[in-house]
Amino acid sequence: MWSWIGQNWSQIWQLTWENLKLGVLPAVYGLVLSLPLGIIAARWRWFYPPVLTVVTIVYAVPSLALFIALIPAFGLTDTTVIIALTAFSLCVILPNVVAGLRAVPAAVTQAAVAMGYGQLRRLVTIELPLATPVIVAGLRVGVVSSISLATVGQLIGVSSLGYLFIDGLQRSFPTEIYVGLFLVIVLALVCDLVLVAVRRALTPWLARA
Amino acid sequence: MITFEAVTKRYPDGTVAVDCLDLEVPAGQTMVLVGPSGCGKTTSLRMINRLIEPTQGTIRLDGTDIAARNPAQLRRGIGYVIQQTGLFPHRTVEDNIATVPVLTGWPRRKARERARELLTLVGLDQGLARRYPHQLSGGQQQRVGVARALAADPPVLLMDEPFSAVDPIVRAALQDQLLSLQAELRKTIVLVTHDIEEAIKVGDLVALFRPHGKLAQLAPPEELLAAPADDYVAGFVGFDRGIRRLSFVRTAGLALGTGPVLPADATVAKALAAGEPWILITDPRSGTPRGWADAVKLAALPGDAPLGQAAAWPLGHTFTVGADSLRAALDAAVLSPAGQAVGVDGDGRVLGVATFDQLRAAIQAADAADLPDAAVAADAAGTAAVAAGGREVPRT
Repeated sequence: MWSWIGQNWSQIWQLTWENLKLGVLPAVYGLVLSLPLGIIAARWRWFYPPVLTVVTIVYAVPSLALFIALIPAFGLTDTTVIIALTAFSLCVILPNVVAGLRAVPAAVTQAAVAMGYGQLRRLVTIELPLATPVIVAGLRVGVVSSISLATVGQLIGVSSLGYLFIDGLQRSFPTEIYVGLFLVIVLALVCDLVLVAVRRALTPWLARA
Repeated sequence: MITFEAVTKRYPDGTVAVDCLDLEVPAGQTMVLVGPSGCGKTTSLRMINRLIEPTQGTIRLDGTDIAARNPAQLRRGIGYVIQQTGLFPHRTVEDNIATVPVLTGWPRRKARERARELLTLVGLDQGLARRYPHQLSGGQQQRVGVARALAADPPVLLMDEPFSAVDPIVRAALQDQLLSLQAELRKTIVLVTHDIEEAIKVGDLVALFRPHGKLAQLAPPEELLAAPADDYVAGFVGFDRGIRRLSFVRTAGLALGTGPVLPADATVAKALAAGEPWILITDPRSGTPRGWADAVKLAALPGDAPLGQAAAWPLGHTFTVGADSLRAALDAAVLSPAGQAVGVDGDGRVLGVATFDQLRAAIQAADAADLPDAAVAADAAGTAAVAAGGREVPRT
């Protein structure tokens, strides 16, 4: 096993890097899209139910089916996988943005208005900071699931740690599968820990007294 | 000065929250809006800083129609304190207090210096400046809320049930704090409460609302107690308004007896010679009261024994002569086993005791001297005649 890892070190490293990219980029894009949608949905309540319906339907689509559906437009490329995973990330992050903004206590919002805050300033300096823990919680789920789902992209030829599963299966070489599995889990855990650290840095007021 | 001119707030569903309200809040005074829930008092308050817009009528601030002002600019000149504090959980105490100065463009450093001054002003330790609101007690949070409202030194302060969420002891402390702050700062304050006791304690003027936003009576607090405009007002003020009105009568002129007051080192024989049914034992050095001794039980002790050896009943409480009201003195007498109120000076030294008879004489004297005849007559007749206010009022 160790000799196999030693011989294939550069390829394993390459696949891990690809997988990281395919996991993190969709989560970041998902966040960037979720913020404006979530802000609109939190302010105009009628906007959210239809959006949530669409999001739920998208989330119910199997990842492989979504990849295949996107191939005619984007081919067998990273773009196809990233777009599909961005949609899935959006599905888990958007409800958290809405929930986080709605959880800002009414008294806090009212006090801000009464002290002469404009809408934009209130959003940026009061509401978004207070919603940060809930938004980051959504982002964590988004990153972890994207890292995991990125391996499915291997089925349409987009390289990731999924290669180790397929190759290991075809060659009946379990070591390769175990190494791939281990690296996916490590990658997910590391990203999750990084996000926890980011959340702590952004929300000093939540530090345990 | 804040002026409501025929202000009405009607909601789209037809509910009338405030009905053609005319009200004038004089500059530098505290106006309390009080009434049951749904009487429009909070709606009226929130129309002053345009959190709610009136359906009809005009609200003026120092003569200017507030509808013509930019809402954000208007609000930065009006302090706002609410029951739930509305402190920003993600900002330190000093940054919370510095909010409006920073909004109006002060440099952060100067705003924080100002925040620390305000912490002291509202009776908080400057060491709390770097804490977050959730690390403070409810009473401390409410003080920070008041400090935040005062930070930019606005001439007007709006307070919506500011002390309703804290326990009675903290509430009393916060009310006292507000009174001393107001004595110093002379802001124009509008305070909403459902607690008539609070209204009477902190208000220069009390506006009592009926359900659906009609004003029932507008009067200084002692007048509200002495001459309620109608049964609704009398009912809201409560059946014990006669006693509560004594809150406005000073004890400075109260006749005090010293016959039963003896130090603990006096002998039992001397105490019995006083011929009183109860003896108040005081500390020989400090002069503070220790308790009441029953003369019947004292007679069982040897005549040369010091009084300090006698079993003493607890006092209940004392009243401070001059500072406390006749109501506090009456309460002290009711709670005392001897039926006598113990009057002390500012250092807690016993000045003398007052019996029910002495208290009754003081109450009658106050009635004769203080209450204008018209108000007494109006009260008896049940009419809405209201005597002109404006005299200096002591507070409990």
